[in-house]
Parts: sequence; C-alpha cells; structure tokens
Amino acid sequence: MRCLSVIALVLITLPSVASAQDLRLPNKQGSLKFAVIGDSGQPGDGQTAIASQLAKFRTRFPFDFVLMTGDNLYGSERPRDYENKFSVPYKPIIDAGVKFYATLGNHDDAGQTQYKLFNMEGRKYYSFRPKPGVRFFSIDSNYVDDKQLDWLGKELAASGSDWKIAFFHHPLYSSGATHGSADAQRQLLEPMFLKHAVNVAIMGHEHFYERLKPQKGVAYFILGSSAKLRKGDLRKSALTAYGNDSDYAFMLIEIDGDDLHFQTISDKGATLDTGSIGRPKTTTNGK
Amino acid sequence: MKATRLLCVAMFAAACGPTSADRSALSSQTPAEAAQKAGAIKTSTDPAVNPNAAVMAGFKARVEKYAELHKDLAKGAARQKDNTSAERVHAQKTALAEKTQAARASAKQGDIFTAEMRPVFRRLLAPEMKGEEGRDAKAIIKDDAPAPGTVAFKVNAKYPEKQPKPTMPANLLLNLPPLPEPLEYRVVGQHLLLLDTATDLIVDYILNVITT
Repeated sequence: MRCLSVIALVLITLPSVASAQDLRLPNKQGSLKFAVIGDSGQPGDGQTAIASQLAKFRTRFPFDFVLMTGDNLYGSERPRDYENKFSVPYKPIIDAGVKFYATLGNHDDAGQTQYKLFNMEGRKYYSFRPKPGVRFFSIDSNYVDDKQLDWLGKELAASGSDWKIAFFHHPLYSSGATHGSADAQRQLLEPMFLKHAVNVAIMGHEHFYERLKPQKGVAYFILGSSAKLRKGDLRKSALTAYGNDSDYAFMLIEIDGDDLHFQTISDKGATLDTGSIGRPKTTTNGK
Repeated sequence: MKATRLLCVAMFAAACGPTSADRSALSSQTPAEAAQKAGAIKTSTDPAVNPNAAVMAGFKARVEKYAELHKDLAKGAARQKDNTSAERVHAQKTALAEKTQAARASAKQGDIFTAEMRPVFRRLLAPEMKGEEGRDAKAIIKDDAPAPGTVAFKVNAKYPEKQPKPTMPANLLLNLPPLPEPLEYRVVGQHLLLLDTATDLIVDYILNVITT
C-alpha cells in the first residue's frame, strides 16, 4: 500500500546576520545538498561575487547541484552570452562536476532547453529525482497551459511520499512592489500543490530574497537576487517571514530524512537567513 | 467558474477535443464536462448547432500543419545528443529559422488567424479582460512587456532577441485553443502573437485583439 504523508510543515527559523563564511547547515554525510540561484544571468559584480561565494562554500558544503529559478540569461543568447553570463562565472563549480538544473524565466529563450549544462534535455518543464525520497519539479510559469497542468498532475501523483520541491520563475506569493504575487498562476498551481502535498516552492522574478510564511502548508521562497538587485522593492507584508532586498543572495539547502535545512547567504558570504522545515514522518497505511 | 469561461472552454472542447488539465482534480470532471452539466453549452460540432466549430476545426488543422512542417524541417537535428553546446544550440536555431522562413516565404497575416477566426478570438478574450482577473491579466501583460516598438508585427519576422517575452496570463491561455509544439500565444500590448518558440519567428498575429 501506498504511504501517506501528512503535510504539516513546521518552520523553525532563525533570521540573522552572522559572520562571513559561517556554514549553519548540519552538513551530514549522505544528506542531499544543493544550492539555489535566481535571476542569475546578468554579468556584473553581483554575479561574480555570488559565483565566488558558491565556490567557496562548496569547499565545506559539497552540494551536488544548483537549481536556477529562471532568467538564466538576460538579453541576447548568442554562444558568447552563454559563456559570459553563465559558463565563465560559474566555471569553478561546473568544472567540479556540479550540475545545474534550470527553469525558464520571462527573459529566457526556449533554446536554453537544449543547452547541455542546464540539464533540461529539450523540455520546458520536467522533473528529476536526484536521490530516493526527493523529487524536483521544474515548471514553466511563463506558459501554464492544459498540457503542462496535465503533466504536472501526473508527475506529482506518481511521486508518492517523496519530498516534493517545485521551482519556477513567477512567485505565487510575493511582497514585491514591482511584480507582486502571480495570482493567475497561483489559481492553477496552488490547488495541485495542495492536492499532491508539495512541500516547498522556490521561485524567482523578484530581485530580492523573501521567505514567505507557509501558505496552506507549503513553504515558499523567492530567490531572484543572484545577479540583479532591486533595492527597496520588498514591501514587507503579512506574507513575509523574512526578506532582504539589499544584498545579492543565493541559498544552500540540505535534506536529511524528514528535515530540510536552508541557509541564505549574501554576496559577501554573510548569512542572511537560516532555518529548518520539518516534515512529519510518513506513516504506512497498509495491511 | 464563470459561465463565459465554461462556454469558451466547452466550445473548444467540442471543436478541438477535450481538455485534460488536472484542474479536474478539484472536481472529477473537466471544465467542458462541467459546462455541459451546467447546461451552458451546445457541444455539437455540427456547424448548424455550433457555428464556431468549423472555424475552430480549421484553426486546429492549420496549426497542426505548421507543427508538421516544423517537425520535418527540424528532423535530424533536434534530438542529437551532441547538439547541446551553446554554439550548436544557436546554430541549430538559426538554421531552423532560415529553413522555416524559406518554406513559408509566401506566408502572410491571416493565413492561420483567418478573417473568420479573429472575431472569435476577440470574443473569447474579451470577458477575461474584465473584472479582477482582467486587471491581473493586464498587469501581467504590462509587467513583462517588451520595450515599445521593438516587436515587428510581421509574419516570418523574428521576435527581438534582447526583449523579454511577455508571460501569457493563465486565464487567457486557458480560454484559447491548445497549440501543438513549438507554437505559443503571446500578448504584446493589445495584440496577439502566434510565436514559434523553436525559432522565435512570428507565425501570425491579430492586431487589437484586446480591447480596453
């Protein structure tokens, strides 16, 4: 019989600014370790600093892959752009064998789906399971049509009791002044997240970091400040658990059994936010 | 769900086949089925009963013909395993765009969005631009809009590579006929584009499809 999991996320969070290069994650052997960057395709000091911090932190926290929340390449997408905006700045971790998994933002061309280093394998939306018990869903939030919704429903239904982590570009909830919540996408995606017990959604589009208060049991993060920053754009609201719109940022995440730990780090290596999401242990409803 | 949406979705369902979104997970029936049960629609594809059915069936045939052309032109290139470097991605896209432009050299506005089709689209989109959902849709269209004047409304023209592609408001998208790969709808200002996402070519367009 299938395992049933009860979705009741418990957030234990400790927003703080700690000293540079301070790793706050358990860093357990055998856990799933990954990083997140968002709106990252803009060359400049911010991107350079974030790429450098990723490489530095990886020496102590050996993450296997990086999620990209979209707007992976701003502007033109000629071969030299793939280099200048992606493969050169992230070269140290690419060379170390770290995989990147991209999702499409509104600035991204569909041609990116063919680019080997983005691991989309020609698909605008896809899922992958890097280790048993955890599945990721990359959603094309630019174009949520019936076909994609049908695919998502089937993929989520088939994922059983895995951790379900969705990542996509447009934030379903946001306190951003420029964009704000993507209500239209939320109307379609949120019911599926609830029905299939998605645990975490990581989004971009807004050029800041915001951890939302859990909405209907789903933990939402906005991370769109890995190369672009919109200072003063975050209007902290009742949705906001923690936010930062003054530093470039990336995230490190670790999943160990039923616990997900996160640490959000600035371009200077300072910890901006950290915490854990607990998931109740699965119970077998078998005979 | 609004009656207008039910009507629109059901009309397309009758002409183009049933929709299959997992929104049906919320209820166990598709939007079209819900509309049928609500008695809001006529499901016959007989033009005498549903005058838009023939128009929609014609549209479906035309976009599928385009998708077939795309498949033929892309044959042998799209799924090659070594076709994944940035150089190869760009070269493949450029070559495919050139082949598509050559194959459709005589294409003109209205070949796919025919004169009969345009008012149907306007009618389908009009109710979705009203009320709260309409305000959201307008905000989305404006939010991700390309810079004014950068998009050439011309069949076979390329969408400007440095401009963002406006996000397609979901409420509009779900009221329009589904499209085969690699086609997508995009709204730029008040105009609707039919875009080939594999080449970024403008396949057809309707001006002023959205009224304010």
